[in-house]
Amino acid sequence: MNGKLLLVDDEVDFLDILSEFLIDEGYSVVTAKDGQEALAKLAVGKYDLLLSDINMPVMKGFELIKEARRLYPALKCALITAYDVRDYLYMAKNFGIGNIITKTTPFNYEEVRLLVKNILTEDVFGLDHYLRGEIHAIKIRNTTEIEPVIQKIVAGMPNMRHKRKFRQVLNEIIINAVYYGAKQERGDRKELWPLVVELSPSEEILLQWGADEEKAGVAVRDQKGILTKEEVLYWLERNTTKGEDGISVGLLDEHGKGLFISRETIDRFIMNVKKGEKTEIVMLNYHEGLYDGYRPLWIHEF
Amino acid sequence: MAIANIVCIGFENKDFYGQCSTHGYMPIQVPDIAGMIDIDVQFAIVVISQLIIEKADADEMERLYFLASGAPIAVFIETHDSISGRLCNLLDEGAIERIYGFEVTTGLALSRIERMYLSACLDSSVRAYQESVGENERLHKEITLRNRILDHERELNANITGSITSGLVIIDMIGNIFLINDFARKHLRIEKNDVFGVPYMQVFPEKVCRFVDNSLKKMSTQWQKHEMKKITIDETVLEIATYRMNDFSKKPSGMLMIINDITDQENTTAQLYRSEKLATVGTMLSGIAHELRNPLAIISARSQMALKKDDWDKAWSQKNFESIDAQVNRCASIINSLLDFTRYKATKPAHHKVGEILDETLTYVEYQNIFDAIKVEKRFEEGLLVYGDRSRFVQIFLNIILNAADAMNGKGQLTLTTKSDDSSRICVEIHDTGSGIDASVKDRIFDPFFTTKEPGKGTGLGLAIAYKIVLESGGELWFTSQPGNTTFFIRLQSGKKRNV
Repeated sequence: MNGKLLLVDDEVDFLDILSEFLIDEGYSVVTAKDGQEALAKLAVGKYDLLLSDINMPVMKGFELIKEARRLYPALKCALITAYDVRDYLYMAKNFGIGNIITKTTPFNYEEVRLLVKNILTEDVFGLDHYLRGEIHAIKIRNTTEIEPVIQKIVAGMPNMRHKRKFRQVLNEIIINAVYYGAKQERGDRKELWPLVVELSPSEEILLQWGADEEKAGVAVRDQKGILTKEEVLYWLERNTTKGEDGISVGLLDEHGKGLFISRETIDRFIMNVKKGEKTEIVMLNYHEGLYDGYRPLWIHEF
Repeated sequence: MAIANIVCIGFENKDFYGQCSTHGYMPIQVPDIAGMIDIDVQFAIVVISQLIIEKADADEMERLYFLASGAPIAVFIETHDSISGRLCNLLDEGAIERIYGFEVTTGLALSRIERMYLSACLDSSVRAYQESVGENERLHKEITLRNRILDHERELNANITGSITSGLVIIDMIGNIFLINDFARKHLRIEKNDVFGVPYMQVFPEKVCRFVDNSLKKMSTQWQKHEMKKITIDETVLEIATYRMNDFSKKPSGMLMIINDITDQENTTAQLYRSEKLATVGTMLSGIAHELRNPLAIISARSQMALKKDDWDKAWSQKNFESIDAQVNRCASIINSLLDFTRYKATKPAHHKVGEILDETLTYVEYQNIFDAIKVEKRFEEGLLVYGDRSRFVQIFLNIILNAADAMNGKGQLTLTTKSDDSSRICVEIHDTGSGIDASVKDRIFDPFFTTKEPGKGTGLGLAIAYKIVLESGGELWFTSQPGNTTFFIRLQSGKKRNV
């Protein structure tokens, strides 16, 4: 596994330790202390991934990515920040950036490793990418199967934190996968949705679940690939933006709330989309609440 | 015997004249009505010949009455049968008496004259009596009325001075109390009942005496319209205003004092200032929480790396632990800066590098969304020091910078400049490219609670507090503003320029 990375951060100490780690992972790493230096280095070398801090003097991470993409359209980009990603959803939407991870404490090397690997290889589908250990799988062919499957999954995860919330989110995501993904029903006419829906082999929903020593996870995958990064960012942004009355502007929207609430509830809410082929939502919960307070943005769209 | 003049107009009857003269009535003979003008003595009766009165028109009759000026008039009728209708009417009305020629010989004419004279005398004395009684009554009434008005006004004054919730005192130029209302007694803790004419020095609290003494001195020497001071007595905060009172020649005649209890108002303001400080602490706290994440992530990353690594060569361990050490110290200083801020009253003023304070301030706000699209440019002159309380400088800069970010609506350039002003002062300039401050609000932007932001978006205290702190620290704060070009200038007491 090889790739050339450009790391940008005004925290020199952070650049130092992160590049040490990524070099150990087998990458070739170059660092830059600010946006201008990064652009200068991009001009003289070929890179596979630009991983930049957000809050830097001279040029903010978003601006750097915008400029880098203009100059090198094929360059893959991601951001890393010490701050709350929620504060940047607006910018992420405006700049069309799907990947922002956080500098967590304790530092989550695994997440950095996974993000870099996923972006570079575009091999992202399947819960096995996110969890070690045994993965269970089942296909949903009829809506009547949803409830028993959820019970089974939850029962198989005795250590799961916030079990009730997790159940609700799981239900929401599977229902969405069936009605929006497989059947493409309209969200503003939920009352007309048939209660029992049969899914053909090309509409079946794949469910995977499992747990390792630090987290438990579920992946829900449809076979349509309709959801887009742009849409997801739009709904997330509407739900995190407060209007003049101090209430979220997305409060009365027909869409997007389930998505937003799910992301808020689950430690890691990952979306993988292969356009026209499949959509996968991966939900990971850490057993010990290790990274409470950090909610990275993780949307892979190919 | 009566002595009176009788005017005889247009007739000559020697017998009548003779009788009159012997009874003390002196005839003054005039040819016609106009002739009366020349008479320069007083007369009691007018007798006019029938011939003339018969010929007289309305104007001449008017003239007759006018020139007679109230004396009774009689017509001397020579013959009985030739009286005109007009004359008959006058006689019937009693406006004119009559004397017949034939009555002269019988003495009846003279007795008519005597009766006319007496009744005229009586009339005038009765009239005079009546008039004098009327004048007294009028005077009496007027005086009564004036007294009532005065009573009313006195009552009104007493009501006003008694019912206004301000204390009111008038002191003459010697320093004696001329007027004092109940509120003033209450506010000034005066228990003695009658203090009229008592020197204020004997009854006023000492702090107030000093202020009054000062004001009085100023008023007698210079044209000082009014002075104001807040004085705290026990727990009560009094706002005392003194006004110079002038006499007609514009010389000072006394001093008016208005005393208000502003304790509640002061408490409310103090509370609001405190809550604004808490809000500032809140802003800083979330800034600090964010700021801690960077070093903590580095420490965590370093330690995890060390835990996994089997072979620690010397150089690697050195680098690793130096980095951890540096980041731990960074955490500590971030936390200390918050502690410094929250207990600022306990910290002693000291010299601080102004650039460092500005940098520190930026770290509290830079992570906020509103700063995402704001470029910050720093133009710091090396080694400039300010003298004072660090946390208060942070509060000044924080409020002005946040205001600038709001004015730019999250997009533009913020330029922070530090310069040495003169040997003892430095100037910090905070420039933004925002909407600018409208001319109509320029005079008010440092007023507490003044805000152009929508309700709920700002307390209107940020700049007021910055202003208050700058003034308290002996500095100056002002601004220039055009759309797209606003600069706040903060001039502060400096330490000497640092020897680098």
